[in-house]
Amino acid sequence: MFELFVAMFREEWRVHAALFGPAMFALLPALVGTMAFMGAFLVPVVNRALPAGDLAAIVHVLFLLLGAMVGGFGLVGNEVMNRRFGQASFVAYAARTLPLSERRIFAVFVAKDTVYYLLLWILPVIAGVALASPFIDLPAAAVLRLFLSLLLSFLAGLAVLFMATTVYGRSTVAFAGLAIGAVAAALAVSLATGALPPFPPLALYRDFSWPLLAGTLAALGAGFGISLLLFRPQSAGGERRHPDRFTGLHRRLGRLPYPALATKDLLDLWRSGGGVGQVLFSLLLPLGLCWFLLSLLAPVLPTHGVLLLFAVLAGVLASTMYTWVTAFDTLGAYACLPVGVGDLIRSKLGLFALLQVVPAGVVLGAAALSGGASVAVPALALALGVSAWSVGVTVWLAGLSPNVLVYDPRVLLAYLVGVGLPVIALVVIGLLNPWLGLSALALVVPAALAVRAGIRRWEAADSAFF
Amino acid sequence: MAMVIEARGLSKHYGETVAVDGLSLEVPAGALYGLLGPNGSGKSTTIRLLTGQTPPSAGTATVLGLDAAADPVGVRRQVGIIPEQETPPSFLTAAEYLRFVGAVRGFEEIDEASAWWFDFLDFGDKRDVLCKDLSRGTRQKLMFAQAFLHSPRLALIDEPLVNFDPIVQHQVKEFLVDYVRRGNTIFLSTHILEVAEEVCTGFAVLHRGRLLATGTPDELREEGRHLPDVFLELVRQDRGHV
Repeated sequence: MFELFVAMFREEWRVHAALFGPAMFALLPALVGTMAFMGAFLVPVVNRALPAGDLAAIVHVLFLLLGAMVGGFGLVGNEVMNRRFGQASFVAYAARTLPLSERRIFAVFVAKDTVYYLLLWILPVIAGVALASPFIDLPAAAVLRLFLSLLLSFLAGLAVLFMATTVYGRSTVAFAGLAIGAVAAALAVSLATGALPPFPPLALYRDFSWPLLAGTLAALGAGFGISLLLFRPQSAGGERRHPDRFTGLHRRLGRLPYPALATKDLLDLWRSGGGVGQVLFSLLLPLGLCWFLLSLLAPVLPTHGVLLLFAVLAGVLASTMYTWVTAFDTLGAYACLPVGVGDLIRSKLGLFALLQVVPAGVVLGAAALSGGASVAVPALALALGVSAWSVGVTVWLAGLSPNVLVYDPRVLLAYLVGVGLPVIALVVIGLLNPWLGLSALALVVPAALAVRAGIRRWEAADSAFF
Repeated sequence: MAMVIEARGLSKHYGETVAVDGLSLEVPAGALYGLLGPNGSGKSTTIRLLTGQTPPSAGTATVLGLDAAADPVGVRRQVGIIPEQETPPSFLTAAEYLRFVGAVRGFEEIDEASAWWFDFLDFGDKRDVLCKDLSRGTRQKLMFAQAFLHSPRLALIDEPLVNFDPIVQHQVKEFLVDYVRRGNTIFLSTHILEVAEEVCTGFAVLHRGRLLATGTPDELREEGRHLPDVFLELVRQDRGHV
């Protein structure tokens, strides 16, 4: 069991180190810690602006989402990894060749993810906050409580995602029932108490008690236990059949650059289960969370400030749709075709542009529902301009592998600076006068230049995967 | 005789590793040319260099008159390729994948060509199955079909027979022989020496990235020697030298 854990742990490290370079990847915890250290100095300021306790809630929700994201990638993202490396190399598939049960491997997989991300994210954040704590009057006990509650938040996200995916694997009806039941219960609690449903890890941070800790651990144990019991490995022998969708879709996408490539990407996205799920979990859910968090700032923002800030964040999130259309490829898949790196980037950007209809609709919907219809046009310009610029920076920095942004500290820093500076400028301008938000459309020009330079750069690179 | 492939001092280094070392080679039109070598000898890298999938560290490669490094997409437009790893896109069905390849290549008669290949390689019952769910052998059939879909004058195929059953292997060997009889050229990388001896009109032996010998099976037959014996002798000798 322990040997399997070590092998999986080592493999996880080597996958990341192979993608981003060992030194760069090893620096990631340092970068996270530094950002947490610097961010901690903003805590007193933000706490003055926000209602009491809201910042703690935001941080805990973020770690809950991190856990869910890690769980989702571990289970659903194996498709991506299969494409990149071939599944034979993964210890997680050892059940095929070694006397190990899939369930045992799954249990070790969960343990490995927990420890790995504890070291990669949670401990660096805590270390950063702990270092800053003497300067912001945060008692050592609070730092310890934060460590515990953030770890539990992360585990809660992991447990919920694992349970959701294993239930889904058993029965979509049971999954739908569980999801509806959970939402209904949360709504009922909210309506009854007039507050958001309690989140035990956050409650532990605010008011630690041993019984609550025991209850939280029991709930987490139950979540992981149920996941293990319900876990059913995907049958390797299954054949999924589909009628020809390529021909019709290819005709409909005829106006895009390289319609055959765009059609393939769209079918990849849809059939991988990433269609509705991706829109829901990677866009609508984070956008909903953004709206919720921004609405907390409404009292200190000018009129329509929430909507305009939301539009900017929607633009940044919308740019991540580029990762959706690059997730299922390696250049190797095109080794036998008359297609260059530049063709692939252009085709993916064509599809990306088409997919922008979704965030554009969300921004217009938010404008209409929040009484901001009068500034819907500049809000839309902000979202689309920021998205275009962000994807331009992404193409320049990472070409066809935008996931590099997440784990290569050097690239991540360049991205944060490259996207962050214009975004901050646009936020200031937009808050001064909403209609100045139209100036975001000017970002399309440098975005196009960044894409052009990125294509030249990545065409010249000798890709190891081609 | 016109040459469809001309390599001059072709080298490829990956850091300290030398994958191909100063390879010079000429392949005439109408040949079924075998590139032979043990695992890791540089066969697949040579095909990647000839099809512009990776730029050379030194030397030049001209394929059908096109510089493979300067115009890689042009080369891949003209030729058919079976790459080392047979990985058609996961979420297209087999039939959709051939449509995709046809659309990318601007090949119009895709319906007839697809139907012929499904029938010839006997996998029509898998046409609606997602590529990711196909067996290794069926994926190899699909990759074989895509390489010849547009009837290229030159096909560069990397270990095309390894996943086929004996019946399909036999069919494919006959197809390859017939294909070159019709005036086309095939550049075949393999370490199955019996196949090379049976079908190839010319061969080159590669070891540790270096060209050890070139020749034809006919010349060996005239000397009363067999390609597998010659190959083993050459490689063992070279290992002794290194």
